[in-house]
Amino acid sequence: MNVPARPPRNWMLLAGVTGLLVAMTVWSAYGIGFSLTEILCNIAGGTRLITESWPPDFGFLPRLAEPMLETVFIAVIGTVVGGILAIPVAVLAARNITPNKLTWFADRNFMNILRTLPDLFWAMLFATAVGFGPVAGALALTVFTVAVISKLWSESLESIDMGLPETIRAVGGTWFQMIQFGAIPQAVQHYVSYALYAFELNIRASVVLGLVGAGGIGMILETQRANFEYERVTMIILAVLVAVLIIEEISESIRKRLA
Amino acid sequence: MSQNDPNKATGAIRFDKAGITYPNGVVGMKDLDLEITPGEFVVIVGSSGAGKSTLLRAVNGLNALTSGSVEIDGERVATHSNRELRRMRKRIGMIFQDFRLVKRLSVMSNVLIGRLAHVPGWRAMLNFWPAADREIAIDALKRVGIADKAWVKASQLSGGQQQRVGIARALAQQPAIILADEPVASLDPVTTHQIMRDLVRINRELGITTLVNLHFLDLAREYGDRIIGLRFGELVYDGSAKTVTDEDFRNIYGRDFTEDDLLEEEV
Repeated sequence: MNVPARPPRNWMLLAGVTGLLVAMTVWSAYGIGFSLTEILCNIAGGTRLITESWPPDFGFLPRLAEPMLETVFIAVIGTVVGGILAIPVAVLAARNITPNKLTWFADRNFMNILRTLPDLFWAMLFATAVGFGPVAGALALTVFTVAVISKLWSESLESIDMGLPETIRAVGGTWFQMIQFGAIPQAVQHYVSYALYAFELNIRASVVLGLVGAGGIGMILETQRANFEYERVTMIILAVLVAVLIIEEISESIRKRLA
Repeated sequence: MSQNDPNKATGAIRFDKAGITYPNGVVGMKDLDLEITPGEFVVIVGSSGAGKSTLLRAVNGLNALTSGSVEIDGERVATHSNRELRRMRKRIGMIFQDFRLVKRLSVMSNVLIGRLAHVPGWRAMLNFWPAADREIAIDALKRVGIADKAWVKASQLSGGQQQRVGIARALAQQPAIILADEPVASLDPVTTHQIMRDLVRINRELGITTLVNLHFLDLAREYGDRIIGLRFGELVYDGSAKTVTDEDFRNIYGRDFTEDDLLEEEV
């Protein structure tokens, strides 16, 4: 038996898509005033920044311990509180176990709003409400965590086997019991995995939030940068890099073990 | 262990012109009139899609009737009130082909699920079970002979053992009725007979009305007291397992039966 002739390629479509992509990129570059010549002319400034940033100021390291710890605290609070609040949000948004269509619809929209607004927005919002500092950061990350976990986990919940929830119904269980004994046990591993993932995101996010005054190491980074202490800035970046890598390594190894 | 009020026999089931038409137009049950007396062991046979599961699930309201009625001990199975439905389901145990255990929990936790509707909600929620209910769960495990596995994770048990946990969970409800939906369909022949014997023994010992869906004819004959045959959602046979003939089975299935319809080989 012969392999049939290869179907002809759609050259027109290929050319069209490529052309469209090129056109969009050029237009966008023009739109933001992107120019290679300008970058090349300014490269000297970039080199100066790099030479001034080296070597890192290791003497500054001891003063980083406290703000670094604060960053981790902010992330921990955001992950724990947000992780707990995400449970009902995710359950109500899972089509197969939500009590009714209206609840599902309202909750879905609530989640969409949380997700659409960036963590920086929440940080500013809470900073206005409770003042600049780590509390605002923790609150912002709480909201961010709810957004991340509820979205991912509601999808896990939607893919569970409905046999067990039905069994809970059959023994005379309530809706709540169906959730607790029938649905959640099937998706609890996913939940832990997503919570750890959210924690990783939160560590990084809490550094960034510090830049806008929400406490932690980000705040130190911002003050040193504003004072042109580039060798200290390098030190801070290195410290953050090491801390983030360690935490991600730990979290990832736990998640792998769960999978 | 007397589970039921000795003064009043419980576990009577009565279908009256009962019908179920699914939203897609499929008829799952048609004009069913059926009376089952307390303590009976009834085997329901029929080819797949004949409405065996539909019948069982109508008893505990998992499938709601679209016409007629089904009554348990003279009380109509609710179609709208969740509270009423929960109260009735509390005393109806159900056993499934795929066991339906919480695999990552212990056998004990799984059996206690049978007590969910019997204890105050906060106790179940906090896993704070009354001693009496734990006792009932242990008794249920003893009755199916796997009390030694109480603290083992459900996922570590063999298929036959998992189904025993399923039976124990139903027993923990202290049920008046047990519904077994193809309880042996995912088990090997040896385990199949053990599970069927367990079901019969429990029926005799405790007088629990038992309805079992089976698709193997020889099993139906061997273990049933009464056989009910369904075809396209209609009752086409109702009689003693002692007197059911091959001709009757042919009629129920609408065809000659083959090796596939028997657990043991020869036709």
